[in-house]
Amino acid sequence: MVNEAFVAQDILVDDFLTIFVSSTLVLVFGGFYVGIYTAVKVKLLKTWTMPFAYLFWVLTGYCLYLMGSLMHVNELTAKALVVAAIGLLLLPHAVYYMQDRVHEENEH
Amino acid sequence: MANSYLTSESKKLATWYFTVAATLFGAQLLFGLVAAIQYVIPGFLFEILDFSVARMLHINALVVWMVFAMFGAVYWLLPDETGIETVGIEVGKLLFWIFTAAVTVVVLVYLFIQVGPADATSIWFIHEGREYIEAPRWADIGITVVALGFVANLFLTGMKGKRSGIVTVLMADMIAFAGLYLTGMFYTDNISVDQFWWWWVIHLWVEATWEVYVGSIAAYGLITMIGAHRQVVEMWLWIEVTMLFGSGILGLGHHYFWIGTPEYWWEIGALFSALEPLPLVAMFIHVLYDWGKMQGEESAKGLDRSVITNKPAFTWFVLNAFGNFLGAGIWGFFHTLPQVNLYTHGTQFTSAHGHLAFFGAYATILIGMMYIAVQGKNGIKVLNNSTSTIFATSMIVGGVVGMTVALTVAGYSDVIISRAQMGATWAGYFDAQATTWLTQGMVWRLIMGVVTFVGFFFLAKDLLTIGKSNIHVR
Repeated sequence: MVNEAFVAQDILVDDFLTIFVSSTLVLVFGGFYVGIYTAVKVKLLKTWTMPFAYLFWVLTGYCLYLMGSLMHVNELTAKALVVAAIGLLLLPHAVYYMQDRVHEENEH
Repeated sequence: MANSYLTSESKKLATWYFTVAATLFGAQLLFGLVAAIQYVIPGFLFEILDFSVARMLHINALVVWMVFAMFGAVYWLLPDETGIETVGIEVGKLLFWIFTAAVTVVVLVYLFIQVGPADATSIWFIHEGREYIEAPRWADIGITVVALGFVANLFLTGMKGKRSGIVTVLMADMIAFAGLYLTGMFYTDNISVDQFWWWWVIHLWVEATWEVYVGSIAAYGLITMIGAHRQVVEMWLWIEVTMLFGSGILGLGHHYFWIGTPEYWWEIGALFSALEPLPLVAMFIHVLYDWGKMQGEESAKGLDRSVITNKPAFTWFVLNAFGNFLGAGIWGFFHTLPQVNLYTHGTQFTSAHGHLAFFGAYATILIGMMYIAVQGKNGIKVLNNSTSTIFATSMIVGGVVGMTVALTVAGYSDVIISRAQMGATWAGYFDAQATTWLTQGMVWRLIMGVVTFVGFFFLAKDLLTIGKSNIHVR
């Protein structure tokens, strides 16, 4: 069975630049989110900057949505992108929790 | 050169591996430069060293120098991690000479024989025609023997000495590394089946076992260079291994989109490719986190000094964290989903991604390991940057980033004209090749290639001389 999403829905020529830029921004904003989160946790940045980390995560999610829509991704790929966005949201929390525990064991 | 400060035979062997690796790195850049000139001046070295041969030498030298440096790095860290001399080191030395001799013969055959008859003779004695791993079968068998000997050195040493988390990960990783090479060794006359297995070597090496290897080396480097806590570093390493194998193994699907495999690979490829940047983000943060944490501990003690004991190596390790994230992460992600890959596959976009990903994810950290070896070989407590270090680093990094940008601009034009507007036809291909954006992109790629090549000479000079300089703390 041929998946119709691949053969029927071409990407518009004018949409390519937006797709490439938005997919680049997915990782740039994602990097800012994780970076700010980590910097606040290791006290390189003040706690009040934390909302900016989550703002960048929201921007990451928006760019993923934009990129996926313009590419005409099918249902499963759309779900995969949502899983990736949620994975990115949870990743620094999980890692930092474990990191903190290991540091506590190390230092006390 | 005398190895006066090296008491370990394993570390001496590592310096041999690094020397050959650096030489092959130079060869890779030289043949890359020839191929880049041929894009701009198509008649350059026509029928003497055609583009197909220059490109073959460029990309095979890339793989081989990295394998040499990877073996060298393991031989370097084994005595530190296990607390004993590498078991079977004399066999390791013999295998090094076999490997070096085999690579020399293969390169000479590529250069002077170039192509053979369309029968088994070519496969056995000239090349197999598989991109990146074109070694003829006799050399394939030799490489397998060398790889197995290397794995035996690693396992026997790991089992006899202390088995740290880093060594345990390397033991598991290197058995996969050696084993996967076998899938690129048999011949089939069905191109789809052939590509199916060939990707096992290429993808599962590069996006699984090599990335895990980089995680292990980064862990070792952070402990060695900034005194990061082993328990913290190894915890990160296990997380990275889980994420890399979790996303990287089935991320293989993004190479199976258009080679005649069933359609379900589109879904598998899309799902796992979307997840593949996550471990790269984690690795990026890992390096910065440990650096910030260790420098913070030093500052808390009221000390204003840097925690870094090898500044050139640490620079390359930080470049690795950035480069892996940019080259493999960003440049990989923006054309990894099948819906857009349909248009970008095989264009200059792929080339842009390939250049920045291989350099950022692997070349950087392996060059960093060479500086760690220089430090150990010369008995230096704190290795500082020399003028050549700064020239080498900025020219090589600037050159590769410049090539990537040029290829991305060329690739964009390639995608729009040859694929989106002209529908992947021959006419579309030639129209795209003739556009100003693509032709100028190729000129800029050549200029940036020259910058990279000059930077390599500074690097070679620096590796050979920096150890004798008096700018360090001994």
